[in-house]
Amino acid sequence: MIDVEHLSKVYGSTSAIADVTFSVEPGEILGFLGPNGAGKTTTMRILAGYLPATSGTAKVAGFEVHKDSMAVRQRIGYLPESPPLYPDMTVEGYLSFVAQIKGVNAGDRPQRIQSALTRCNLLEKRKTIIRKLSKGFRQRVGIAQAIVHDPPVIILDEPTVGLDPRQIIEVRNLIKNLAGDHTVILSTHILPEVSMTCSRVAIINHGQVVATNTPERLMTQLMGGSGYELEVEGDFESVQRCLQAVQGVTAIEPMSTDLLPQNRLKIKVVSGSETELGSEIATALVSHQLGLYEMRRVQASLETVFLQLTTEETPVENASEVEPSDEAIEETP
Amino acid sequence: MKMLAYNVLAIYRRELQSYFASPLAYAIATIYWILAGILFKAAFDGVIDQGNYVDLQAQSGVPISPIDVPYELLRTYLGVMGSLSLFVLPILSMGLYADERKRGTLELLATSPITNWAVAIGKLLGVLTFFITMSLPLLLYEAIALNGVDPPVPLSVILLGHAGLILLAASVLSLGMFVSSLTDSTILAAILTFALVLCLWIISELAKNFGGIVGDALFNLSLLKHYTNLVQGVVDTSSLVLFASYIFLGIFLTAQSIDALRFQRS
Repeated sequence: MIDVEHLSKVYGSTSAIADVTFSVEPGEILGFLGPNGAGKTTTMRILAGYLPATSGTAKVAGFEVHKDSMAVRQRIGYLPESPPLYPDMTVEGYLSFVAQIKGVNAGDRPQRIQSALTRCNLLEKRKTIIRKLSKGFRQRVGIAQAIVHDPPVIILDEPTVGLDPRQIIEVRNLIKNLAGDHTVILSTHILPEVSMTCSRVAIINHGQVVATNTPERLMTQLMGGSGYELEVEGDFESVQRCLQAVQGVTAIEPMSTDLLPQNRLKIKVVSGSETELGSEIATALVSHQLGLYEMRRVQASLETVFLQLTTEETPVENASEVEPSDEAIEETP
Repeated sequence: MKMLAYNVLAIYRRELQSYFASPLAYAIATIYWILAGILFKAAFDGVIDQGNYVDLQAQSGVPISPIDVPYELLRTYLGVMGSLSLFVLPILSMGLYADERKRGTLELLATSPITNWAVAIGKLLGVLTFFITMSLPLLLYEAIALNGVDPPVPLSVILLGHAGLILLAASVLSLGMFVSSLTDSTILAAILTFALVLCLWIISELAKNFGGIVGDALFNLSLLKHYTNLVQGVVDTSSLVLFASYIFLGIFLTAQSIDALRFQRS
């Protein structure tokens, strides 16, 4: 539904994005994750047809965003970084205006407005002047204007900024509900938002996409497979010998023994990519009569993945190319 | 074409609604009415004095051509209204695009399936309608003053004079809209528009310093000259063409400026 190939945007001598390539399948929610100034908003604006790219192509529903700008504009709903609102209008009046300029038929308009108001929980505020709304409600009106014409593609730039925790949950649920019927691309700084709402993530840094994959795969691939944290009775060498015999184990590392009873140790075991070795590890330890007191699976958090990818010197095109890193292993809560 | 009209109507209604919801617009209208009232009284007194003077001269046997007092009143009043509009219109046009830029709503318009032309035409029609609505109560002054005069002022002269005022307003608002599209500061937009239309207003005076073709060209660009033509009841095609050109130029430049803004935005 969205195909971006080698997209670049240069302002004077500054490159905002360089060689950005990714695609979004119909019905998918893609999270666009990146630090400030990474090029998220520029990419969003190019996709929305607001800015022309310097080079490369971006297609929405098969239409090139610059050449077939009008066709693209008919098929997108766009929430910019700050909601584009007219403070002197009522919520309903504003949505009616947006529906008109988006080309919704007069006959369909009341139903579309009602639907957008309902989905964004704005029914009680429909007659309120936008100027009098709180920031959270304004953000919701911004989202409502992006969906009022029921576009197949929805582009949301930081949709949960300024919302309180309850509103954030509501907006996340709203975005999740949009999947399937709509293709959604959203940018955010908030990492849990991506893992909670998005089926795929593109991490962008310094204007380049450094990884694209599902949140789970990114987390797994970054640490090179599954990881386990064990509390075992015995000495490190015996445990190491025992676990090295298990096929698929790629690393065994001692952890801090503080606060542990004598003769107990904590170790970290990393297995090969996407293999589940929990059962084999437990069996090996028990068969070597090494007391197993605790065993839990650990995974790199998306935050770790994000920090790792956005602080690396060399960008990579796909998360599968990310080198395994033990530093990336972190306990899941 | 139908879609264009539909979009123009949507922008027009929103623009008009924003003026009627704006306290600033009401404040401008109030000041406009007060000033227009003062100017009407001044014009009325001036023309009556002039009439009395002519009467006095005629009674003294001094040969002097008679004056048509109602016509003179209309001409003088519409003349000063034109000058007053030069101050009021830039304030009405200053926010047309500057506010859109400031609020970020330009991003909404620019990513909607609506052309820059439709937006510009809708906005111009909206602000022009507000100006006409704002000027309607002032017709009461003229109606009272000209009611029952004998011989009556020809309707065509009255209509042409007011059409001239509307054309002048449309030209100034169109150019003001273009200036407003260049900045997100409403005050700057108002000042620059005022400076621009003041130049176009008095360019006929400046043209006198130039000779030849340049002088002629500058003279013909004058808003004052062409407005005066219409107010005097002279239907001059060149005046109509000039006003139409200014209106078109303003809309054209606005559409181009919004496109350029999108290309340059950092």
